[in-house]
Amino acid sequence: MSKVRTDTIAAVATPPGRSAISLIRVSGPAAFEVLNRIFKTGGKKTFPLPHCAYYGSIIEPIAGLIADKVLVTTFVAPHSYTGENLVEVSTHGNIVVVSKVLQIILQNGARGAEPGEFTRRAFLNGKMDLLEVEAVSQLLSADSMSQARLALNQLDGLPSHFVGRIRAHLLDHLVQLEASLNFPEDAIEAIDEHILARELKKIRAELQIFADNARNGSMVAGGLKVALLGRPNSGKSSIMNYMLGRERAIVTDIAGTTRDTLEESLMIGNYAIKLIDTAGLREPGDRIEAIGIERTRRAVDDAFALIGVFDGSSQPDSDDRLVLAELDRAGKPCIILRNKTDLPQQLPDNFFGGRDQLQASALNGLGLEQLVASLSALISQSGLGGYEELVLLGAQQSAALERALASLDRACAGIGRMYQDMLAIDLEETVRELGRVNGETVDVNTLDLIFERFCIGK
Amino acid sequence: MQKIEKYSVIVVGAGHAGCEAALASSRLGIDTLLLTMNLSTIALMPCNPSIGGPGKGHLVREIGALGGEMPACIDETCVQMKWLNTSKGPAVRSRRAQADKYLYRQRMTQTLFTAANLTLRQGHVTEIVVENGCVAGVALETGLRFSCDRLIVTSGTYLNSRIILGRASWPGGPHDQRAATGLSESLQSHGVALRRLQTATPPRILKSSVDFSKLSELPGDPESGGFLWENRLRHYDRQISCYLAFTDADSVAAVRRNLSESPLVLENITNDGPKHCPSIDRKIIRFPDMVKHQIFVEPEGWQSEELYLQGLTTAMPPTAQKDIVSSVKGLENAVILRYGYAIEYDALAPGLIRKTMENRAIKGLYSAGQLNGTSGYEEAAAQGLIAGINAALALKGRPSYWPSRTNSYIGVLVDDLSTWQKPEPYRITPGHAEFRLTLRDDSAERRLTEDGYRIGLVNEARYRVISSWKMRIENELERLAALSLFPSGETREKLVQLGTGDLKKRVSGCEILQRPGISYSDVKNLLGENAETWLSAADEIYSIETEVKYSGYFEREAENIVQTRFLESIRLPLQILDQRLKVLSPQTIELLTSDKYDDLNQLVRKNCLSRSELAILLIVLQKDLTAVGETEVLND
Repeated sequence: MSKVRTDTIAAVATPPGRSAISLIRVSGPAAFEVLNRIFKTGGKKTFPLPHCAYYGSIIEPIAGLIADKVLVTTFVAPHSYTGENLVEVSTHGNIVVVSKVLQIILQNGARGAEPGEFTRRAFLNGKMDLLEVEAVSQLLSADSMSQARLALNQLDGLPSHFVGRIRAHLLDHLVQLEASLNFPEDAIEAIDEHILARELKKIRAELQIFADNARNGSMVAGGLKVALLGRPNSGKSSIMNYMLGRERAIVTDIAGTTRDTLEESLMIGNYAIKLIDTAGLREPGDRIEAIGIERTRRAVDDAFALIGVFDGSSQPDSDDRLVLAELDRAGKPCIILRNKTDLPQQLPDNFFGGRDQLQASALNGLGLEQLVASLSALISQSGLGGYEELVLLGAQQSAALERALASLDRACAGIGRMYQDMLAIDLEETVRELGRVNGETVDVNTLDLIFERFCIGK
Repeated sequence: MQKIEKYSVIVVGAGHAGCEAALASSRLGIDTLLLTMNLSTIALMPCNPSIGGPGKGHLVREIGALGGEMPACIDETCVQMKWLNTSKGPAVRSRRAQADKYLYRQRMTQTLFTAANLTLRQGHVTEIVVENGCVAGVALETGLRFSCDRLIVTSGTYLNSRIILGRASWPGGPHDQRAATGLSESLQSHGVALRRLQTATPPRILKSSVDFSKLSELPGDPESGGFLWENRLRHYDRQISCYLAFTDADSVAAVRRNLSESPLVLENITNDGPKHCPSIDRKIIRFPDMVKHQIFVEPEGWQSEELYLQGLTTAMPPTAQKDIVSSVKGLENAVILRYGYAIEYDALAPGLIRKTMENRAIKGLYSAGQLNGTSGYEEAAAQGLIAGINAALALKGRPSYWPSRTNSYIGVLVDDLSTWQKPEPYRITPGHAEFRLTLRDDSAERRLTEDGYRIGLVNEARYRVISSWKMRIENELERLAALSLFPSGETREKLVQLGTGDLKKRVSGCEILQRPGISYSDVKNLLGENAETWLSAADEIYSIETEVKYSGYFEREAENIVQTRFLESIRLPLQILDQRLKVLSPQTIELLTSDKYDDLNQLVRKNCLSRSELAILLIVLQKDLTAVGETEVLND
């Protein structure tokens, strides 16, 4: 049975605000009937023919008044975005006009669409799979080239194909296994566990790469997090302000003023960066500071890269050592920045133990261009560069992928040592969870597949 | 005027479903009438002479655990008993018995005739009497009438049945019985929709005409024990073997040259037959490259001179059957005693049966077995038992018994059946059960005997002895978890001897048993405690080893069981529709409020609800379901 609602929905598809043209979409079985009631074509062409554009008027049927001169385009199921009958009405971009036209449409047989309902219908009608749905919503809110490119990757369905292929492979093995478990006396070829073990390991490795790409994908999609780390008053906030080109953090010369992590987005090359200003690292003086330091630790763990900021104008203290230790602990790509080079330098070079350092003066902006260039270099060296391979997953999908990997791990570990019915349980779970990753199917009906493939009939 | 005899429950049909239904009802103290068209063919096995196998064997075990009769009967009357799937794991291993068809019938007939509260009569029911939408009785071909409060119809393959043999066809039931006429029309006139299904049986051959030297022998397993809990450790020393033959290129050629006479090709029969036992005609058509098909040559009884050719089902005409049978090595000179045939019959249309086996269209009407669109003696018996139990419980004013998917194959069967839409008879296999580790063959009594006792089919004495067995296993599991083994020189020596690694820290008895290759008796030796606290019965040790060794799998299964049980606990149709549910689609609201499904789990399983719809529903329902108190589902 179909889960698709069979009523007709309408919504404005273009963002609110002034524009030359606004687009209203009407989708559902009654889309053409709705338009028939309120749309009068200017030309001789009969309305509605499939896949045609019409110029004409939207008329409020009771009063008989023209609301707007519009362009109407017809799409016939299943050849439309949603897979249903669909009409696009291009109105003039005036918000009053758009509201009036939508109102007329809603009064004549359509209801207002819920957020995402067009896309949901597209999914339910098989026009796109879950990964593609996820991509559409990301594309609509993408604000960097790499994010947009990533979302487009997804729309092409490449990751879906990959997951689909892996799943089909595993399902194949599962069906063979289930056939022998369910029908022990039907001469079904015994499973060669050595071959299967090898196969599973191969699939496991492929799936791991996919999962890594997904992890990187979500990192790129959410903006690459770069955390600024340094003892209080080392100048992190000033650096952040410079990078953003505006006042953001509270800048005072009292140590410990910046108590929370502050986040701002900026673009470096094609990548969206989330720059995070952390409350400094120091032995906490009070509870509020302790919380701030705890948050700093978390920001470090979440970050893609770190910038360690050190005050060059003073002798290194225990807090500086704490920062350096934290950079080592994190083991992430990092940049060491010697700040306040405009003042006399007290910080000895050997404090950094031979690590590369950048010299900067956040106060007058000297050397900070070099910081941007270094960050850009870090990204390109990180292996994230090839965003053609990156994969974007929603939270549900990521969780399903993790579960799939876990059960596949169990299958790999158990094969040859574990009974085949346990192996079947693990494989079934893997197949089911992979199905959730790309929304192919929730129901794994291995029995039907057994009958397709094997001559059962003891 | 004729006085109409009155019974509380009437069961129509004395096949495997009818027998269990009549016994369950009468054993629960309800006066019950069992009507059959032929008192001489009670509990007939018109097709294969076997009971059990993966899924089916589980059902038989469960029937016994609940207090049904099939396992007791087959344990006494089998000619062979065997374990299947032993090497493939505890979830799928199962017993299968070869039956003495004749003894089975005799014993079951005897049981019925000696049962209290049960009356048997021969009679052909042609009409159901319905008053005010409720079943009121039946009318017979002879004009006799009986009245009742509950009616259980178990008509098997007899309703308007038609035998098909090549181009020939005539009205008739299996085993040269009469067809049941009139009842179909009566059901339909009361709004019960029907459909046509078919099944078929292979030819039977004369034992003395078979060259056994060309076949391989398949002996039974003396140690397999019986299906009934009481027989679990029983030895079967005297058994008859089955034999295995194969088709070859000659047989395929024989089938091919006769295909034009196959009902499959002639299309003089419905195509909706059991997928799991296709005719040899269908096998050759569907798998044209396959030459070697197995034929199991099975005895039909201790004294029987007939052999059943499992795998060679066909409804081709006699000359073709002869041609095909004699093409098989070892059967060259086989004499066919009874020809195979196909039978086409009326069954209920999908969507009419509740999980309680009650009909959605007529109140007080229950059905079980092939009428419900299943195939198999075991499936029929299980449904008959549930129908009998529920008819009796209803008359006693007690709540219905709803078996759950989470605690039995019977639960899986009735749940699948009430939502089964496919154009083919349903057969149970482990593939249908999502919790098959929990629903193991050896755990049937631990899952169900409590239910059987509460229902009233398991008596006090039996309940006690099974309970103490259950406690022994469960206490031992707890004891093992609490036992400690510490690293020491002596321990290391013993572990090395057992071929397993040394200890780094204290481990529990369970943890040591989880190691590959370590058995219960190894743990006993390692811990070296006084002997009397350790279990010695093989079946109890088996259960313990299984549950400890695969505890990770059990835990994961248990999580899903909680979820399913919660969804099953939300019965449909919803009586009051919360205003907030109006946000759901009209179709969903229709499903929730109309009498099409039994519980919410069915809607979820059938993908009738989107995740967001389920989430909305559960949030709204949660208020009224605080008693159930499970919220895990929401997080999924």
